[in-house]
Amino acid sequence: MTGTAQKKRYEGFEGRVTWLAFALLLALAGLCVRLWELQVIEGAQYADQAENNRLMNEPLKSPRGIIYGRDERVVLADNRAANDLVLVPALCSDPQSVIETLSQIIEVNKDALLADIASAEKRKAPWEQIRVKQDISRTELTLVEERSFALPGVYTVARPQRRYYYNQTAGQLLGFINKILPDEWERLRPRYKIDDVTGRAGLEQQYQEVLKGTDGAMIVSRYNGSVPQLKTDERGNPYVETDSKGRALEVEERIEPVPGGSIFTTLDIGLQRECERLLSGMAGAAVVLNAETGEVLAMASSPGYDPSIYVTNSPDRDTLIRTTEGDPSKPSSSRAHEFHYPPGSVFKVLLAIAGLEEGVINEHTTFGCSGKFYLPGVSRPWRCWRLRYGGHGGVGVVDALAYSCDVYFYNVGLKLGPERIKAWSSKLGLGVTTGIDLPREVPGLIPDPERKKRLAIEAKKTEPWYQKWYPGETVNMSIGQGEVVTTPLQNAVLMASVLNGGRRVRPYLNMELGPQVTEPLFSEETLRIVMEGMRKCVARDKPAPTGTGKEAKIEGLDILGKTGTAQVAGLQHVKHYSNEEDIPYELRDHALFVSGVTDRSPRIAVSVIVEHGLHGSSTAAPIARQIYEYFYLKRPDEPGSASVAQPLTIARREAGE
Amino acid sequence: MSRIERDLNLLEAHIHTFNYRNLRRLDWLLVGLTLALSIAGLFTLYSASQSAAVDAPFFSKYYVKQILFCSLGILMAMLIACMDYRALVSMAPFFYGLAVLLLIAVPLIGFTAMGGQHWLRAYGVGLQPSEFSKVALIYTLAWYLSRYQERIYKIGYFVGALAIAGILILLILIQGDLGTAIVASPLVFVMLFAAGCRRRHILAIVLAGCIIAPLGYFNLDRLPLKDHQRIRIVSFFHPEADPNYAKEAGYQIIQTKIAVGSGQMWGKGFGKGTQTHMRFLPVYHTDFIFALFAEEMGFVGGVILIGLYTLFLLRGLSLARDCPDLAGGLLALGSISVIAFHVLVNIAITLNLLPVTGLPLPFLSYGGSFFVTTMMCVGTVLSVHVRKGFFS
Repeated sequence: MTGTAQKKRYEGFEGRVTWLAFALLLALAGLCVRLWELQVIEGAQYADQAENNRLMNEPLKSPRGIIYGRDERVVLADNRAANDLVLVPALCSDPQSVIETLSQIIEVNKDALLADIASAEKRKAPWEQIRVKQDISRTELTLVEERSFALPGVYTVARPQRRYYYNQTAGQLLGFINKILPDEWERLRPRYKIDDVTGRAGLEQQYQEVLKGTDGAMIVSRYNGSVPQLKTDERGNPYVETDSKGRALEVEERIEPVPGGSIFTTLDIGLQRECERLLSGMAGAAVVLNAETGEVLAMASSPGYDPSIYVTNSPDRDTLIRTTEGDPSKPSSSRAHEFHYPPGSVFKVLLAIAGLEEGVINEHTTFGCSGKFYLPGVSRPWRCWRLRYGGHGGVGVVDALAYSCDVYFYNVGLKLGPERIKAWSSKLGLGVTTGIDLPREVPGLIPDPERKKRLAIEAKKTEPWYQKWYPGETVNMSIGQGEVVTTPLQNAVLMASVLNGGRRVRPYLNMELGPQVTEPLFSEETLRIVMEGMRKCVARDKPAPTGTGKEAKIEGLDILGKTGTAQVAGLQHVKHYSNEEDIPYELRDHALFVSGVTDRSPRIAVSVIVEHGLHGSSTAAPIARQIYEYFYLKRPDEPGSASVAQPLTIARREAGE
Repeated sequence: MSRIERDLNLLEAHIHTFNYRNLRRLDWLLVGLTLALSIAGLFTLYSASQSAAVDAPFFSKYYVKQILFCSLGILMAMLIACMDYRALVSMAPFFYGLAVLLLIAVPLIGFTAMGGQHWLRAYGVGLQPSEFSKVALIYTLAWYLSRYQERIYKIGYFVGALAIAGILILLILIQGDLGTAIVASPLVFVMLFAAGCRRRHILAIVLAGCIIAPLGYFNLDRLPLKDHQRIRIVSFFHPEADPNYAKEAGYQIIQTKIAVGSGQMWGKGFGKGTQTHMRFLPVYHTDFIFALFAEEMGFVGGVILIGLYTLFLLRGLSLARDCPDLAGGLLALGSISVIAFHVLVNIAITLNLLPVTGLPLPFLSYGGSFFVTTMMCVGTVLSVHVRKGFFS
């Protein structure tokens, strides 16, 4: 043997190697057990996580529902395509020259663009769409398309954007849309995405859920750390081909969005525009209701604003929004239902109805008016507005309404007491919300002793004069002063019930809601007396005194009306002004007028308020007259009018569609 | 073949330190398992290559390069199988010296790759000296233990073996190759244990390790570790505490678990592993290749792969056990143990049973140095088996 001497093996070698083999087997078995745990027991959970890694949900925004006027011919709000101009560096051979060409035809920020391109290249994402300009105008779009041969890698991505056709008209009723607020989004996720818009006022807010529709989605595969690049085809449908690094992506599933539902409104857009025109230059509101159904034909509020400022592509967008939202005259609020005012003498209509119904007066009850009214134990008198003419003398309820006698209604109010006044107010819709389908409606207020006491106790005012109800408060209440406040919309509802035989209507804007009308709430006899008083109010009878609403008179129309002049400041603040033109604007009285037409169809109830307009008779009543003239007499044959023909949609619905 | 003829062949094999006829008497089961695992590795790398850049040149694709490495490795294994291992064992001190030299030289003239290890680049091919020093360690220990077998129960010779291994492992650690050091340490104990050391000596060292390890963990700042290694150890025990959770080791752990778990029972199918192909899984072609395999082949595929490894390792151990020569037995045992520890630790890391350290999986992971080293170990086992009949 030539080899090296062999060491004899140590005897335990085989045994020890066998032990090692067993240990190895055990360890490998342990790995299999762990594999079982991860893949079989917990596998489903990890499979979900892997899918979450791999797939991305690219939302397909549902187009917002359209808001129509009374039929499809009048579109109040729809969607246009907003074109965002984008640039893909990987597609342009020479980004520098492309940007140069772009800057020659449209206004672009060259430096920012070059910086964006450099950053995309640095991130190795040359396929990223770099936003050149958002929502470019039609002219810019044409310019870019004409030069498209010189602009490789530049194209547009479309997204739907809201469009309002009538600018300021009905702005407060339509409301506006804006980016969802973070806390709102927290509440509404996952149905809403962080970049969604929601209605923030008016119908856009009220019918947000209807208008939104349901977003679809593209379920797109993706690579770690990359972003799918959304494109749109010529019809505006989004699709995905590549990610920001140019790798091809697959759309695994496409769930088409469900467009938002359309809304047909009861608005007569011509009338609305006319009402806003009549109020222009003043602060105030005008409400026109169909007295039979409660359809809101017009609900104007001045000053107004244009909801388009929130969706414009103008560079001044932010300034416009800031100016509007910061305007102290609150142009974006509807004064017809978001503000309340003392109703003044308009409230006498309610008192007359309540008094007649409760039997505290009848047609022939008279009270003497010397211009002053004394309560036992109170030295200071309550005045009637005709004090300087020596009062109204002895008047019945018809004349008291026609000439607006305060003293008459002081007596009626005292006989009724605050509880019954409040009860009748609530019954006929004053001091309670009307239920109109708009957000932020205020209820107004009709005070009563129980409330006064409760508030005093809550404020820990124990002295009796804080808690006790005084007859003087009832007297104030009787002519719609004191704490009494109502909205112009509520006044219109009251007027509608006088016109439609004593029924209370629920005003509404969405045609789909349909009328909601109560049974008659007071007797025909009461109705006849009140109508007579209100008719006389508008009549140009001789001899003097004439009705306070004579300015609203139109020959050939049977118009009912009631004026109101609501004090804003106590008499002591304004009595030293000998000429009312000298009273500062904010101390002047509000001018109110409620009225209606009985002998034309549809019968409409009109409620007008002009803030600080001094007198209902001279400021508000002429506005009502012009509304009637427009609606019944001068009506141009325009689409969407409530006075000309049956609305198309109702006709269609009745035809059984 | 008559008995006389065979004996003659054996004689020849013994006389010539290099004889290609030895290839006829290879252990074909071990060879078959080696080839099966390598082919599985090539297929897995083929799948991994798909997610590389589409326009990558053909020769830069993982599986194409790996085919080259495979060929090189097989050649190396055949070369070693044909050689007389005893001649190699007698040259062990020379290998050891060379390994020490390389390990000292490379930090000075080499460069650092992404794992933190040092590489030596020669003729356009990267070499990892720490990989080859593993083989040197096996041969040196086999040489030392077979030479002093009668006296190894004495503490002095035991400590001598520890010192030989310790110097090399320390040098590997200084290089920054924590993974190789982790695999090399238990190798020492396995070889000492099989060579007949006293159990109490090994137990004492293991106990000392159990005491020192936690001390080390709580004094991480003072240990000569690199920052990324420190982070990996901490993030294994507290993945959420990692400040760069999304990017660093914690992210790796989570994504690896998702990849493995989402394979479920039957896997996502060959080439359809989304965690890999959509780039969520880090270093999927080297250290985490088992995650890719488990994702695409599922629990069934994973168990079959582990089964193949088990067969391979047990066959290797049985060859080692049956070798009548101590040096040969220790050589085979050491070679198989290195592969076994790589398999166990790598899969355990992938299955989140151990902290993340850069450690490849034999036969599957992409990498030239490592594959060739593995095949050198396989060649050693085959060489030992070829010559076993000579002693009976």
